[in-house]
Amino acid sequence: MLLLAIVAITTLAANSARQLRYMAIAFFGVALAAHLIDDGSLAAAQVVVSACAALVASAILFVAARDRRYGEDPGWRLWIATVVAAATTAAAFVFLRPETGDEINTNLLGPDPSGVTTEVAAFWLLSSGIAILLTARGAVRGSLGALLMLTGTQLLVRLVPGPQLALTLLLAWVQVVVALAGAFLIVNQRAAREA
Amino acid sequence: MIEVITLLGIAALVAFGVRKRLAVVGTVTLASLVAAIVIVALMPVDASGDVLDLPWRMSELARLAAVVMLGTLCLLVLAVWVDEPAYNFFPTALVVGAVVIAVLVLTTPIAIYAALLLGLLVPVGSFTFQVHRNRSAEAAYRHFSFVALGGCLGMAALALSASLGRDQPPATFVLLVVIIVVAFAMKLAAIPFHTHAALLASEVPASGLALYFGVLVPTTFIAFAQILVLSGLLPAIVQIGKVQDLLLALGLVSALGGAFLATGSTELRRVAVYSVIANLGQALVGIATLSGPGIIGAMAIALVTGLAATQQLLATGTLERRAGADRPSATTAPLAALAFVVGGFAMIGAPPLVAFPGHFFVELIAYSYSGWMGTALVIATLGVLVAQLRAAMAIFRTAPDRWRVERRPIAGIVGGFVFAALLIGGVQPDGFLQPIAAFADEFLRALHPL
Repeated sequence: MLLLAIVAITTLAANSARQLRYMAIAFFGVALAAHLIDDGSLAAAQVVVSACAALVASAILFVAARDRRYGEDPGWRLWIATVVAAATTAAAFVFLRPETGDEINTNLLGPDPSGVTTEVAAFWLLSSGIAILLTARGAVRGSLGALLMLTGTQLLVRLVPGPQLALTLLLAWVQVVVALAGAFLIVNQRAAREA
Repeated sequence: MIEVITLLGIAALVAFGVRKRLAVVGTVTLASLVAAIVIVALMPVDASGDVLDLPWRMSELARLAAVVMLGTLCLLVLAVWVDEPAYNFFPTALVVGAVVIAVLVLTTPIAIYAALLLGLLVPVGSFTFQVHRNRSAEAAYRHFSFVALGGCLGMAALALSASLGRDQPPATFVLLVVIIVVAFAMKLAAIPFHTHAALLASEVPASGLALYFGVLVPTTFIAFAQILVLSGLLPAIVQIGKVQDLLLALGLVSALGGAFLATGSTELRRVAVYSVIANLGQALVGIATLSGPGIIGAMAIALVTGLAATQQLLATGTLERRAGADRPSATTAPLAALAFVVGGFAMIGAPPLVAFPGHFFVELIAYSYSGWMGTALVIATLGVLVAQLRAAMAIFRTAPDRWRVERRPIAGIVGGFVFAALLIGGVQPDGFLQPIAAFADEFLRALHPL
């Protein structure tokens, strides 16, 4: 539950940041906390791969900013994104949570084998990402939204039975490519605006 | 199979390193793509294996589609190399080639989806050019947003459906399948999720558009059908008619809307792009009928439309470049103009081209489904026909005193090659339709697993 709280707070920090560099650092915090949520099937190799991909993605955005001040002011979009994300998370949890019949036991620090914490974090990240992406004016917040959505997706994929390491590697590559494409667009949109 | 993907991946890295030395990068790219085609063509059907426990299988459809897509990429690379040098295009084409093969041979739905997402994101670099003078960066950003949104939503829904037990309430499955369908509609630019495609059509280079609509959109369509088969969701779709209705509605709206928008377009590239959207709408209707002929027709339409789109968009690029600030005209590039016109035959599914059986099957099965649905698809085809005729008349409006073939007529040569391939396929349709029929069998078995 503590990691879930960290995911929520760092997502809000990334969402409210006006500078791309702060946004990139906050995103790394979100991703790290999300990948450390233990649902009982956490493997060290997967955590390392996912954390490395998140670090590379954050570094790419950090470098793309070129200076400390560059970014996008969220303004009213911050509040819309937060309210929509909170409401959607609750709705998604009600409609999409598997009916296992198991009793839900969550604790502050230990692992959560029921997977509830992982699912709530995933729904929160997906909802936040959608809200940010839909209200973004440019590639700065667009990239953040895409990366948050992808992190949420990574958490849900962790619950699927199958070749987990291969899927983790594939999604890590997707994350790096999303960051690269986002950085490319950020640099080009800035060049177009400053011309 | 991992060898082919590795070959293309390493070639992409090399091509990126030498991207400004046109002769070297062109040679490396073409040689790698041709080598990949040869390896794929020689690989036995049903060859299989696994990479990091991720299984793959070379099905008949995978082999056919891989050869068609890699061949299309070769033609695109040749055209860009000779006629429209764009440094970023070569490594992008190689990565797209690797992704196409991965999408076609992987058998784990989430892995297919992740590979597809990679492929759809890579062309962002090829879409953006001369950012001070046009809105290509905005178009590329819109594409990025649609792909990220649709990709993550679809993959999340797929992951949830795979992790749920089969004893969930039907409403849960309906919601998840609807999300997956809408996610694919966004990536296929199906109407009403086509706004990014409209912006791309007017702002990005013709070669980038051809890469997207000629290779990546057909790959997305095939991935959609494969994911439906492999995810085990088809029996749920059959039981809950709403999802089938949604697919039919999306297909019909796209077919009619695409044809309507194509008819109203005055730009050649928009005519080509909206014709693709209309055809993919027909293909969606084919899939939605959940019948053998519908599935065969749908896959055939997707593959042939990709080839026709490549032919028309490359021709459009040449016509636009030769015309400069004037309207594109056959007087400046007659062979490219001819390539555009014959590409229109494939777009409408005219016989004797291999484009015909696909359209015929889908329209036939649509009529057997309901009279008004078949009529709607025929109207859509007529709309595309009118749009193509208008475009052809606009290109050939003025005639010079003496026709002179343009310098470096690569678009015309590519058009001629594609037309010949479609004609040969039309004369001998079994070679093209047999692998698709094998996939249709798998699809129908997945519909009724017992």
